[in-house]
Amino acid sequence: MILEFLINAVGLGALYALLTIGVALLFGVLGLMNFAYGELILAGAFAMYLFRDQPWPFALLMAIVFAVVVALISERLAFHPLRNADPVTLMIASFAVSLALQSLARMTVLPRTRGVPPERFLSHRVTILGADVSVLDLVTLVLCGVMLLVVAWLMGRTSLGIQLRAAAEDFRMAASLGVKANLVIPAAFVIVGVLSAIGGAVLVARQGSVGADMGLQPMLIGVVGAVLGGMSSLKGAALGGFLLGAATALLESLLPTDLIAFRDAFLFSALIAVLVVRPQGLLSGAKVRVS
Amino acid sequence: MKSRNRILDTVQTPALLVGLVLLVALAGATGDVTTARVATLALVSVVFVVGLSVFSGNSGVMSFGHVMFMAAGAYTTAYLTIPVPLKKTLFADLPGWLSWLAEVHSSFPVALLAGGLVAAVVGLVTAPVVARLSGLQSGIATLAMLLITYNVLNSWTEVTRGSSSMIGIPRGTTTWWAFGVAAAAVVVAWLYRCSRGGLQLRASREDFWAAQASGIAVGRHRATAWVLSALVCGLAGALYAGYLTSFNVNGFFLTATFSFVVMIVLGGYLSLSGAVVGALAVSALQEVLRRFQDGRFTGGNELPAGVADLIVAAVLLVVLVKAPYGLMGVRELRLPRRRRGGGAERRSEAPAKEPVGAA
Repeated sequence: MILEFLINAVGLGALYALLTIGVALLFGVLGLMNFAYGELILAGAFAMYLFRDQPWPFALLMAIVFAVVVALISERLAFHPLRNADPVTLMIASFAVSLALQSLARMTVLPRTRGVPPERFLSHRVTILGADVSVLDLVTLVLCGVMLLVVAWLMGRTSLGIQLRAAAEDFRMAASLGVKANLVIPAAFVIVGVLSAIGGAVLVARQGSVGADMGLQPMLIGVVGAVLGGMSSLKGAALGGFLLGAATALLESLLPTDLIAFRDAFLFSALIAVLVVRPQGLLSGAKVRVS
Repeated sequence: MKSRNRILDTVQTPALLVGLVLLVALAGATGDVTTARVATLALVSVVFVVGLSVFSGNSGVMSFGHVMFMAAGAYTTAYLTIPVPLKKTLFADLPGWLSWLAEVHSSFPVALLAGGLVAAVVGLVTAPVVARLSGLQSGIATLAMLLITYNVLNSWTEVTRGSSSMIGIPRGTTTWWAFGVAAAAVVVAWLYRCSRGGLQLRASREDFWAAQASGIAVGRHRATAWVLSALVCGLAGALYAGYLTSFNVNGFFLTATFSFVVMIVLGGYLSLSGAVVGALAVSALQEVLRRFQDGRFTGGNELPAGVADLIVAAVLLVVLVKAPYGLMGVRELRLPRRRRGGGAERRSEAPAKEPVGAA
C-alpha cells in the first residue's frame, strides 16, 4: 500500500519535474515564460495519436520529432525577432503563439477530443515486493526518471550544458565570452521540445485522449513548479516540480472529494503567497532575477 | 491666453475620445440589429480596456487578471436583476448563509453600480499582492488570480451554476447606456492620469528606482490604480451581462483575457487613446474576421472555426515585433497644432519620447 503510493507519488513528481524544467530552461536562457509550452506537449501527444497503430517506440520517436519541429518553428517565427524584448512582451508573444497553435490544431486535425487506446501492457498490474503496482505508474516513473538523469548529465557534463547554464546565469556575459546565441537558444528549444514530447506521451497514456486544449494544465503545472522552485536555477525548478507532483498525489489521496474540485484554487493561492513572500522561490538561495 | 491654452490642452484628448466613442454609439443606434450589437459590445470592450489601461497604462505593469473583475460585475448583475421566481429555480441549492441571494432584486442601474463596487472590493482584497510585485512576477500573480477565480466560479456549482450558463438576465444595457459608461470611464481615466497620484505612478513606470528615490510610494499608487481599474472593469462586466442576458463562466477565461490583451497592446498600452482606439479597432477586426469565417465574403464557403483566432494571434505577434508600443505609442489623440479645423481624429505628429524600460 505504502510502496504503491510512493511509486505513484514519485512518478507524478518526476513527470512534473520534467514539465517544470521545460519552462525553467527557456526562462533562464532567454527570459521567456513560455505559455506555448502546452502546445508543444500537444504536438507530441498528437503524434502519439497519429501513430497509435505503430509500435510505441516509433510513436514516441515521432512525438519527439513533432514537438521539436514545432518548438524550432515557433522560435524562428515568433521569439527570434523578439530576442531583446522584455519578459512581459515575450510572455504576451508566447500567449499569441499558444493561441495560434491551438487554433491551428483545432482547424486542421483536432476539431474535437480523440481517444487514444493505451498500449495493452500498460494496464497490467505487477507485484513488486508484495505491493500491487500498475505498469503505467512504473513506466511513468522510469521514463521520467531516465529523462531527468539524461538532462542532468547533459547540463552537467557536456559543453553544451555548460554553455546553457552560463547563458541562463547571465546571457550577456556568456555571449561576450564566446557562447553563441544562435547555438544555445535553438538548442534550448530542442531540449524543451524533447522534454515536452516525453511529457505529452506520458500524459496521453495516463488520460487516454488527445484534445486541442490538453496543453493548458501541464503548462500551468510547469509554471507553478518553476515559480515554487525559483526560476533562475534549473535544479531548484526541478525540485519544485517534483515536490509539487508529490504534494498533488498526496492531496488527491487525502482531500475529501468535495474539496478536490477546488484543488487548483488552493494551488494558485499558494503560488501567489510564494511570489509575495519569497519572489526568488522557496528553494533557491540566489537573489531574484529582476525583470 | 496661456491658461486657456492649458485648459484646451487638458480637455481636448478626453473630448476627442468621447467624440470617437459617440460616433460608434450613433452608428449603433441608427444601424440595424447586427450593427447595434457589434457597436454595443465594442463600447463594452472600450469600458473594459480603459479600465485595464488605468492600471497597466499608468504603472507599466501588464495584468492578465482583469477579466476576474469583469466576472465579478457580471455575476453581481445576474444575482441582482434575474427575476426572483426564476432565481429560486436556478439556485435551488444555495447554502444557508447565502440564501438572501435568491431574495434580493434591484433595477439595472443599481445592479450596474453594485457590479462596479463588488469588483472594486475584489480589487481591494488583491491590491496588496499587486503593490508588492513588478514585471513578470506581477504578470504571473495576476494570471494566478484569474485561474483561482475561474476555478471557484466553475466548481462552486450551488452558488455560481458552475459550467452551466447563467440565464434569464433582463436586457438592461442599451447602446446609450454603454456609451454613457464608456464616456464616464474615459473621463475618469483621464482625470486619474492627470492627477497627482497618476503622475507619480507614471513616473514610476518610466524609472522605478528614481521614483522610489524621489519619495514616491509606488506600491500605494499601484494599489490605488488597481482598485480604480477594478471598478471600471466591473462596470464593463455588468454592461456585458445586461446586454447578452446570458453568459457562461468560460466567457471570463483565457480567450477573453487574450482578446483584451490584443486590444490594449495593439492600441498601445501606455496611452489612454491607445486603449480606446485599440478596443474599437480590434472589435471591428474581430467582427470582420467572424463574417469572413462564416463565409460571407467568400461566397458561402465556410472556413474552419479558429481562422479568426489564428489571424488575431498573428496580428498581435506582428505588432509586438514591429511596434511594441502599439499604434499610439505614448501619444494621445490631439487636435492638429497648426491648422485648426482639419480632421479632428488626426493624431498629433509631435514627437514623443519612447519610454525606456516600460516594464
